[in-house]
Amino acid sequence: MNAVKRRSFLKTSASAAAVGAWQTTPLGAQESAAPAATVIVVHGTDIPKMLAAGIAKLGGWGAFIKPGMKVAIKPNVAWNSKPEQGGNTHPDLVRACVLAAQAQGAAKISLPENTCHPEKSTFQASGVADALKGTQARLYRPAKEDYQKVEIPKGKIAKSAGVPKDILECDCLINMPVAKHHSGATLTLSMKNWMGSVANEDRRAWHRDGLHQCIADFNTFIRPKLVIIDATRIMLTKGPQGPGDLEHPHELILSTDPVAADAYAATLFKKAPFDIAYIQLGHEMGVGCGDLAKIKVERIEA
Amino acid sequence: MMTRRNLLRLVLFAAFVLLALGVLPEAWRGWSVLLPGLSPLLSLGGALAARSAGLLTLLGLPLLVLPLFKGRYFCWRLCPMGFAAETVSRLNRRNAGLIRRVPFVGKGLALLIIGSAAAGWPLLIWTDPLCIFNGFFAAWRSPLTWLSAATAGGFVLILLASLIAPNIWCHRLCPLGGLQEWLAQLGNRLRAARGPAAQEAPTALSRAHAGRRVFLGFALGGVTGLLYRRFGLQAAAAAAAHETAACERGQGRGLGQGRQRRERASGEQDTGGHACSCGTEHRLAIRPPGAAATGFNALCARCGNCMAACPYGLILPDLGTTGVDGLFTPVLAFRSLNEQQEQFCFQECTACTQACPTGALRPLAVARKQQTAIGLAHVCKSRCIAWEKHEYCVVCQEYCPYHAIIEVERNGVMCPIVDADKCRGCGACESQCPALPIAIVVNGRARQPVLAHPSPQL
Repeated sequence: MNAVKRRSFLKTSASAAAVGAWQTTPLGAQESAAPAATVIVVHGTDIPKMLAAGIAKLGGWGAFIKPGMKVAIKPNVAWNSKPEQGGNTHPDLVRACVLAAQAQGAAKISLPENTCHPEKSTFQASGVADALKGTQARLYRPAKEDYQKVEIPKGKIAKSAGVPKDILECDCLINMPVAKHHSGATLTLSMKNWMGSVANEDRRAWHRDGLHQCIADFNTFIRPKLVIIDATRIMLTKGPQGPGDLEHPHELILSTDPVAADAYAATLFKKAPFDIAYIQLGHEMGVGCGDLAKIKVERIEA
Repeated sequence: MMTRRNLLRLVLFAAFVLLALGVLPEAWRGWSVLLPGLSPLLSLGGALAARSAGLLTLLGLPLLVLPLFKGRYFCWRLCPMGFAAETVSRLNRRNAGLIRRVPFVGKGLALLIIGSAAAGWPLLIWTDPLCIFNGFFAAWRSPLTWLSAATAGGFVLILLASLIAPNIWCHRLCPLGGLQEWLAQLGNRLRAARGPAAQEAPTALSRAHAGRRVFLGFALGGVTGLLYRRFGLQAAAAAAAHETAACERGQGRGLGQGRQRRERASGEQDTGGHACSCGTEHRLAIRPPGAAATGFNALCARCGNCMAACPYGLILPDLGTTGVDGLFTPVLAFRSLNEQQEQFCFQECTACTQACPTGALRPLAVARKQQTAIGLAHVCKSRCIAWEKHEYCVVCQEYCPYHAIIEVERNGVMCPIVDADKCRGCGACESQCPALPIAIVVNGRARQPVLAHPSPQL
């Protein structure tokens, strides 16, 4: 849709990206026949079962969480919106993941979320507050003192950002967005989900300075061990807040590569991955592989 | 030495302080309306003036009946303001007789308030002691600023006055005390009429004398109230006309007439290079939801309840943008008026509307609140990131709960326009607009229209 805009992105970033990206992983791997990234797509209706099946395919929870680890999960719970409206990550998914982390013997499970709506209503309406009752997980909106300013060495525009300490200090970081339409960024998937982590002034600065580049910049810094995109239902219009038109792919998308996960998720919205500028920029900057031809998509039923 | 009476007063004082401070658990917050509501001047006076009574109005009844039998029992045993004033008065025993030559202003004040309330425009309703007490403690919320502390002034003044002239408040100035004094006299009269047995000390005034005074008080209040009402309605009409004119100019907010005209003449207004002023000149203040359309400044007792009730600290006392008679009335300050503010009038919240003892703010249900427009947003294109710099943004659209931002594509990016039929003026757009300075700003409305467009959030 935004050809002019994308071209200008390419102009400003392509040369530097090429130098930076080609030398680093994982794009170096694509010269061989092996896929650059793997995406597991689980289709089903029982979310905990789907999650278990997907994780098993990735080597089981043991590959990600070891006893005593500090786990941080970044769901998308930003809006005062009900689970069936698709504005937030499904509470069943958040719960299933937290329970798994508990079962693995995680020492601490935190879910810092810089909500857009007042946190109390948001956590309640989203169903996530109730879903986490009785677990050891802590879902909260970070206060000023919970943030730490970090440098983004590879950032082109965003050179620093305020990030919740729990995310910086964890041993296992899990990104758990919901896939939906987004008025500003076209779609919000896993890379964009980090905007729900950073401090408000950074969010605003990113919009001012070039949203897509800043999203890609931040993703060069933040490296989740695991990405789980909730595409059980996807909001096609009026995002990110909604309510908008819904579709029900009944899918969970799992990957260790955020760009690959986003690239696949974009296809659910009938978009080419590189139509979303931050996916293209992430690909170019070496965050991951956004080229569908080089991504191995494994579909399983659960 | 603590007598039982003083112990009771101390306990009540503490209880009322807790109530006014709003530190109670959230489920109890609704009780904050209790203290100011107990004053018939506020609850009944407000209902009388607004010609609309509710359950809250009943709160004022006990203090209307009690003095008939017990005189100023409330003043000497229960009133927290009285307790504070009396305690301070004790610090200056030397001047205890100073008030002897001062007339009981409060009795006149009570009549004036009731008379003017009956005329639809209550005057000096903010002199009520329970309201002043409440205002002082309601101001102690975070973040405390000079502005939010404005409603605390009356309490301090009373204590100062009590220090200089002991007991001057309770015995001479207090309108609630004055009202109860009248009622006590009435009670005595009624009892005297029934039988000589229940006689108390005869009042200084003859029956005719007292009757004349009461009539004069009411009449004075009524006439002044009517006069003010006339001017107030005129002012409201002028504000409404101003707003309408602004809307017709496609701005939705009041800008200087001169500049508007010039812009229009030079055709700059809706083109790309517009020199939209977007300053704060002639900006209409935003009232909390449920605000009475006319007579708000008169109805509002400045008790500070709505300000303390707002979970987001959006409501601040006005310092003159609503006229001299609007001093310290509640207005909403979104981010363009208060840099620290990152919240907006959340669609699920009706806290302030439930906290008003006088009916200046009518209680609204969530559904009604979501249909009520307290303001209207305006995009200043020359500041807007999307319009001016062609950057991806429309954060305003992201945040708008009412889908009131229309997106139009320009230069490959979506650009925002406000849909006046859907905008409720909640300030969500303004709360996170990344432009410097803020490119989307909410302007108040002279009246709060109920919009036909159904809220998407219901």
